[in-house]
Amino acid sequence: MDNRTRPVKIAALGMEKRTYSTLQLFFNDHCKDSYVLVEENSADISIIDMDGFQACRMLEEHKKQYPDQPSILISLSHDKAHDAVYIRKPIMLDALSSALLKAKERLQQPVTETPAAEEIVQKPEQQTTDKKPKAAAPLLLNNVTPPPQETVRRAKTGAKRFDQYRYSANFLTEDADLEHIDTRLAANFNPDNPLQAAEFQYQSEQTLQGYFQQAYFTALQKQQNVVLKGVWRPITILYKSKQLRVEKNFRHLYALSGMLFDKSEVSIELLDNDADCEPGLNETVLPAEPFLWKLAMRTSRGRVPMDTNFTAPIKLIRWPNFTRIIVTPHALRIAALWAKQPTSLMNTASYLAIPLQHVFMFYTAAVSLNFVAPAITEKDQTTATTPPVKRHRYRKIFQHLLARLRNN
Amino acid sequence: MTNYKIIFTGPVGAGKTTAISSISDRPPVSTDKVASDMTRDMKKTTTVACDYGTVRLNDDDCLHLYGTPGQQRFDFMWDILVSGGIGLVLLLDNTRPDPFQDMTFFLGQFQDFIDQTQVAVGVTQMDRKSSPCIDDYHSHLNKQGLTIPVFDVDARKRHDVSLLIKALLFSLDPGLLENND
Repeated sequence: MDNRTRPVKIAALGMEKRTYSTLQLFFNDHCKDSYVLVEENSADISIIDMDGFQACRMLEEHKKQYPDQPSILISLSHDKAHDAVYIRKPIMLDALSSALLKAKERLQQPVTETPAAEEIVQKPEQQTTDKKPKAAAPLLLNNVTPPPQETVRRAKTGAKRFDQYRYSANFLTEDADLEHIDTRLAANFNPDNPLQAAEFQYQSEQTLQGYFQQAYFTALQKQQNVVLKGVWRPITILYKSKQLRVEKNFRHLYALSGMLFDKSEVSIELLDNDADCEPGLNETVLPAEPFLWKLAMRTSRGRVPMDTNFTAPIKLIRWPNFTRIIVTPHALRIAALWAKQPTSLMNTASYLAIPLQHVFMFYTAAVSLNFVAPAITEKDQTTATTPPVKRHRYRKIFQHLLARLRNN
Repeated sequence: MTNYKIIFTGPVGAGKTTAISSISDRPPVSTDKVASDMTRDMKKTTTVACDYGTVRLNDDDCLHLYGTPGQQRFDFMWDILVSGGIGLVLLLDNTRPDPFQDMTFFLGQFQDFIDQTQVAVGVTQMDRKSSPCIDDYHSHLNKQGLTIPVFDVDARKRHDVSLLIKALLFSLDPGLLENND
């Protein structure tokens, strides 16, 4: 096979199994045989996740063994070292495509030339020069069982828009759990700095979370079942039981949490309440609250919806049902504090001595379900200005009890 | 040795004995007797004095778990049991005809104690009867100006009972460190 037509062999190192599979899907379905995943020893290029355990050591060893092999490093931080191409998480598809092209160029360079480290900057307005492979939204849509023809058409339109606006597909971190949030990023966060503030905010209205939220509360308010349509298979919200009817393979929906969808791609339709609510053969029924909670948590990834006031006091309207949802880090403490005394996001992190992003994540999940709200009454404002809660006289004993509850 | 106690209360059949069993270090001392009143329609035995379990905290400290008898005719014991308690766990049975009435009743009975400490509410039997839902409980509580933890709880599951107690502890002191979560 001609070198120009043979697929470039890529080794994916230090990645979780599911991330690896996602990358495989991307190459198989969207790069039209341009790239193929192989073992490290037969690869032309390597993609290395630098946030994994012992990633630095792995990189050193890899460089020793394959000094001429171009590498693409992906990481939450942006330390530049080595003659590698860097992409900062969350990954944007066009950035990944550009990185692959850069690495490919390096592959064709003479070995004597040592290229410098280079970061692929991911900005919303960034213009891509890369046309092939076509990197667009449908990567995540491949997890969906084949949708009807009309939906396919919509998905393709959505992909163009997606490409046009350079939305963050976030796909390489789709399986990342809470531990992957780099809490150091907000260590010196200043809410008065608009640039920093923007970095920790996102357009929730245009995410699946935002649309689902809108559909869910429409159903509750109108006391009518609602169907949410988009590039995903229809999600039916059953207002009476506060459940949703969704395809069995619903987990891929969480993977869509990093994407933005234009309004024209999504529809919320009221349904006749007498219509059949029984799940179809490939469908299942889920409780809506835990679904929205998790979706918001995944979408947040340590950020808050746009226009969130970082310094206004927040109060708890109702406790989340923690036995049936994911307990985000420090969620119980934050809930208890806000129930006792309205507190701003900034002060919450400071009073409880916890990472700001954990406060942001809890806030985003809680606000998506209206469990929290800005403290606006006079009484709230008074309590919000009081000093932080006092240490309980039995704190030491409580600490022992918490330890026992965990250990047994 | 210093002793501390948490009180479990709620109507007959709400799962107080089971919840204490779920987290006690040793099989709880139970004073269940064969039910002779209308309770026998709900379960074979019922607690007539109290349930008692323990959680050893360290060499010097022990937490005592007390379950109150469910029937109102034993309410004279409630004041005795709560004396010196650090908090209240209220368990409600969702299959009862009016669980909101139960909630209002027990919150009223223990109001003085709750004012001095905190309360966490566990709703049991939701797998058998899903309505009213947790949101409905909150609506009732919000009308009374209360924002307290209310969780769907399976009293047999240690995870659920533990979370309820954790919520109680953090309500008492949000500044507690969560290094054990």
